[in-house]
Amino acid sequence: MDPISYFQAIVLGLLQGISELFPISSLGHSVVLPRIFGWNIHQNDDYFLSFLVATHCATAIVLLFFFLKDWVQIVKGIGRSLRDRYIGQDDTYAKLGWLLVVGTIPAGLLGLLLEHPLRTLFASTQTAAIFLFVNGLLLFGAEALRRRAPVRSEQGMHSDEVIAGTLTFRSAIGIGAAQALALIPGLSRSGASMGGGLLAGLSNEEAARFAFLLATPIIGAAGLLKLPELLGHQGDHVRGQALVGAIAAGITAYFSVKFLLRFFETNRLTPFAVYCCVVGAVLSVAFALS
Amino acid sequence: MTKRPQLIVPAVILGVIFLVIAIVYWTTDASSLPSFFPGHESGSTDIHHKHGLAAAVVALGCFVFAWFQGGEKPSASE
Repeated sequence: MDPISYFQAIVLGLLQGISELFPISSLGHSVVLPRIFGWNIHQNDDYFLSFLVATHCATAIVLLFFFLKDWVQIVKGIGRSLRDRYIGQDDTYAKLGWLLVVGTIPAGLLGLLLEHPLRTLFASTQTAAIFLFVNGLLLFGAEALRRRAPVRSEQGMHSDEVIAGTLTFRSAIGIGAAQALALIPGLSRSGASMGGGLLAGLSNEEAARFAFLLATPIIGAAGLLKLPELLGHQGDHVRGQALVGAIAAGITAYFSVKFLLRFFETNRLTPFAVYCCVVGAVLSVAFALS
Repeated sequence: MTKRPQLIVPAVILGVIFLVIAIVYWTTDASSLPSFFPGHESGSTDIHHKHGLAAAVVALGCFVFAWFQGGEKPSASE
């Protein structure tokens, strides 16, 4: 019997595509959802990790193509700065590129070193529900604290210019390191990077844009590093489901990023904070009683 | 961005050290690693590829940092 049915793969893929980009913790949801539905799927099972690799790769590919024009400019900017051995003050994409590199390194290093121990340590659904509640508090906190930080959204300027002009390399390191919180099921990577962007002085829209750009190499690298597991014996009996799940994740990831960029033009993290607090609190109590 | 040429040599040395650490991680099993290395585990035959990759990323970061500290400083008109 297959460890994951095609129906489960579609549901988990749809959920993964949404929760990876919404600031509500994809890992937390992928831990608690099987328990809510009574599915015999556990986040540390080899086949489930292989399944997640495919959905991560799909999300990263969607993000890459969604921001393809930006990425072309960013790669050219990085190349230009390496050639000149200088990052020009007015070279938006060179600055943005190095902000992304500097932000990716701490998250990547912490991910490489801590992913396995943290995943093993916080494997229970009860812990994931509690951290989902904590994630809500962190989102509330980011919105509350950012009211004291100046928002430097400039009229007539492209978002990338505002991001490059506002963020310092130090703040990019901080935002990148904050992403590592997502190694704990229940805490959101995009929530941490959006919150960090707000505290650094970005508007919600620009913080979301920077979070999505920052997510692409991290999610992509995490997927690529574990791709051999999907292609190896761990992926036996799950490759078809992984492909279906990846397609589902890709579709919802596309609509999620489109929706969120528009949503954050006029809205804040507060609705997601309320969602995480309510769902986290309800599930914590429910799991404790069951 | 202010250039600090005096940091080139320390950055390159640090980069080489991390590169050596990466190679050690990639070629030595966990029980044979020096005891002060993260991931040392007596009796284990595992090779810590991810630790090696992390060290290689830091090494690359050091070399890139050194690269930017060198070269001519652009004139004010540029």
